[in-house]
Amino acid sequence: MGSHSVINVLNLTKYYGKFKALDSISFTVDKGWVYGYLGPNGAGKTTTIRIMLGLLKPCQGEVQIAGVNPSADPVHSLQFVGYAPELPTLQTFFTGEQLLDFMGKMFGLSAQARKERVWQLLDLVGLKEWGKKKIGNYSKGMVQRLSVALALVNDPMVLIMDEPTIGMDPEATAHFRSLFTNLSKEGKTIFISSHLLDEVQRICTHVGMINKGKIVFSGPIEEVLEAFTQQWVVEAELENVTKSVVSSLKKLDFVEDVQVEGNRLMIKLKEKKDMRGEISSEIFKQKGVLLSLNLHKITLEDAYLRALKGGQ
Amino acid sequence: MGTLRRVAVITGYEWRRALAKKSVLALIILAVAVQTLILTLYSQFTAGTMFLTEEVKPFMWILGVLQGQGLFVQLIAIIIAGSTMSEEYEHGTADILLSKPITRVEYLSGKFLGGFSLLALVEALTTVVGVILASWFFGPQNSLQHVPLMFLAIIYSTLIFFCLSFMFSEALRRNTLAMLIALAILIASSIISQLLVELYRMTGEYLYFYLSRGIPTWGSNYFPSLLMRELMTIPSTAFLNLINDPLIPIEATKRGVSEAILVREALQQAAIIVAIYAIIFILVAVYRLLKSDVTKKTA
Repeated sequence: MGSHSVINVLNLTKYYGKFKALDSISFTVDKGWVYGYLGPNGAGKTTTIRIMLGLLKPCQGEVQIAGVNPSADPVHSLQFVGYAPELPTLQTFFTGEQLLDFMGKMFGLSAQARKERVWQLLDLVGLKEWGKKKIGNYSKGMVQRLSVALALVNDPMVLIMDEPTIGMDPEATAHFRSLFTNLSKEGKTIFISSHLLDEVQRICTHVGMINKGKIVFSGPIEEVLEAFTQQWVVEAELENVTKSVVSSLKKLDFVEDVQVEGNRLMIKLKEKKDMRGEISSEIFKQKGVLLSLNLHKITLEDAYLRALKGGQ
Repeated sequence: MGTLRRVAVITGYEWRRALAKKSVLALIILAVAVQTLILTLYSQFTAGTMFLTEEVKPFMWILGVLQGQGLFVQLIAIIIAGSTMSEEYEHGTADILLSKPITRVEYLSGKFLGGFSLLALVEALTTVVGVILASWFFGPQNSLQHVPLMFLAIIYSTLIFFCLSFMFSEALRRNTLAMLIALAILIASSIISQLLVELYRMTGEYLYFYLSRGIPTWGSNYFPSLLMRELMTIPSTAFLNLINDPLIPIEATKRGVSEAILVREALQQAAIIVAIYAIIFILVAVYRLLKSDVTKKTA
């Protein structure tokens, strides 16, 4: 375990009957990281999270949160953890204010601290107007927002969220994305399980990919993109594609191949280097009229799909 | 925050959860209504009979307090305990609670104390109502200094079926199933108990005697009335027969000893039997919670 490791997952194995949900997975999450945990349905994401929270007992291996195993000592390990479950079912007999207050009590906050924190959080998640209303009257998106507020009630050091923006409208999603980024800047460690790869790529510093109970990749997001990038491609849109332009581009030593798609050229590069300057010069030399020139590296989605196919 | 504080937080939570359920409130109202009806019927239809003599009238509070105990208090105990653990699994809220800094034993203790203290409050209400109604219908009551002890005895006696339902609530994690099984055991136990008493009456075989005392309903039904007989002298056999353990007069005749000796003996046995059942059921519930995963939303 690194000196700054906040979450340490070591050789975790979990069976449901004969089904192996987790197969000796290991990864660490350091302080201040925003760790995106990716994988298809049934890959073992939620199982990992539930073991991290002490809700499930691992068959082998262990999890440590801030150096303490939550199954063995939930009082100390979960004191500084906030958790927002996927599609939460909250206690509908409470109002939003009452539930936040109750959760504050569970963390041992004083009455004064709870009073301040509750309304601050309701405001933060955009539910101030709904604080006095029963949760039974909330929409799914509002329950999701309240769930994030509940996860923040103890001002946690570690925030564990399972699909936190699911069911939220685009405006709320953007708001929460910015909230998570700000929390990360405050030094909080954020662990997000998500299907929204675009979202993960925007806010996460590190990613872990799990498939069929096994970790496929765990590391900085740049590394995963690099590791799963096979080729960079420059897409050039011309007013008119001529044979001389294509043949001259093919002769360049850094070009592997050129494919013509209407008035577009897909120029495959031999190395992962941005060669757009050289390519545009060559096109001008051949009197081509360039309309646009884009470099395609790889998206997290591409990397994710390649990882799942066993590309790495 | 210490263990006691965490247990108290869950206890308070359990109160709010249980009281938010309309079925629990309806049962409390029904229990008081039935109690009122029973005492009204006694006052109207037993006046001037062998049962309701002038000597008995000052003790009618006992009937008011004990009459509901056999059926409604056990039923409310089963309903409150049956939902205590299971509903959290069914609704998926167990995840939210158990992912907080609290041990599973603290959580279970808070849930148990919350449900049981609510049951105690209901019983306190029916006890007070019983005493008030008895005074209202039958005039000044005697031996009221024993009311608190009787209340505690009733509460203690409900432990068997409260713990049984609580155990099924945790073990099965299904509210309706837990309540139905506990209720089926209550009914079956009552029927079997009656059969064993009759078999003992006919054959005199002690096997039936001991078996009938080992049945859960014996301890839960007769512990309060045995205590009442230990504490007070009731001047009416007809009245006593209503609440008495039927084996005591049979046994007294057979062994040629006074009923008082047998009452004391039976009281001790009942206290031990209630404790044994309650401890076993709670230990099973604790074992289940400690050794198993927290299941996701089941309903």
